[in-house]
Amino acid sequence: MIGTGIKKGTAELAILSVLQDGPLHGYELSRRIEAQTKGSLSFSLAALYPMLYRMEQRRWIRGTWETSSNGRRRRCYRLTPQGKKKLQPLRAEWLELFSALRRLTKVSNA
Amino acid sequence: MHDWRLLVQQRLAGLLIEDGEATQVVEELAGHLEESYQSLLRDGLSEEIAARRALERVNDWQDLKRKLESSRNKETIVNKRVAQFWFPAFVTLALSMVLLAVIQIFGPSPWIGPMPAGRLRMAPVLPVYVSWLIFLPFIGALAAYLSRRAGGRTLAVFSSVVFPVFPYVAFFVIGLPLALILDDHVARNLTLPMFFMGLCAWVIFPAAALLAGGVPAHYFSGRLDARTTSDG
Repeated sequence: MIGTGIKKGTAELAILSVLQDGPLHGYELSRRIEAQTKGSLSFSLAALYPMLYRMEQRRWIRGTWETSSNGRRRRCYRLTPQGKKKLQPLRAEWLELFSALRRLTKVSNA
Repeated sequence: MHDWRLLVQQRLAGLLIEDGEATQVVEELAGHLEESYQSLLRDGLSEEIAARRALERVNDWQDLKRKLESSRNKETIVNKRVAQFWFPAFVTLALSMVLLAVIQIFGPSPWIGPMPAGRLRMAPVLPVYVSWLIFLPFIGALAAYLSRRAGGRTLAVFSSVVFPVFPYVAFFVIGLPLALILDDHVARNLTLPMFFMGLCAWVIFPAAALLAGGVPAHYFSGRLDARTTSDG
């Protein structure tokens, strides 16, 4: 299980990466992240929505209200051009961190 | 059928963000809980268990409220402190001082009667003082209500409840020791029993009276919140 500190740091990367595949609303976004990380990353509401609102303020993502086929109003988040720009250096930073840790702990890929 | 919107609205009551935004946040979170609940129902869980599981996505509503406020509004920290502590604290202070003045002007007159000399030196002002103490629990309850309504936690609630005694505490802790050092007259006339009598009369008893109203108001409003949200 991944610790809280690292989870917090990776949350932005996780959200941006998942939104890269297309717009999603909060519930679906959290489900995707949980499924794709096999439960290692899971968001409570207190973690997810404040994070989404903060990212929206930074203009990395944009939320718009949409009405689904069953008439339910949902707020869908999509990546903005600024968010796309942010994703690349974030990915590079985390890759660098993981490879540094791998070298440090001498954990092999195998 | 669960009214998730009502439930979220109740649990996030007093959310310090702009009205329009608060409505949107409530709608969005309610939508999340509804989807979570529906998904659990599709997995074959009973309505009761599905609702409980969906609610488990929020461990602490106060924590969620705080995080939402800080993420949506940069000025919220100051606003929150004002609403949860400073406003109720100054209301309590002002009311308790005004009350004391009103009782002195319109209330019972101080006794002047046969009292054994040397005993109960405070006795002549007792009618004024006791009348004041009797009303303090109501002021304490009001402070607790105001602070709690703004989402104040226990420390903020109780600090605002006992705020009127803070100036007296400052006097006894700082002012009086300084006067003892700097003024011979005070040092010669102040005795230990007088010091404790003053401390009790202006700090301990008023604080106890304010808390006598503030503590029940705090816990009663907490229970009321829990009951209304569980009903939702």
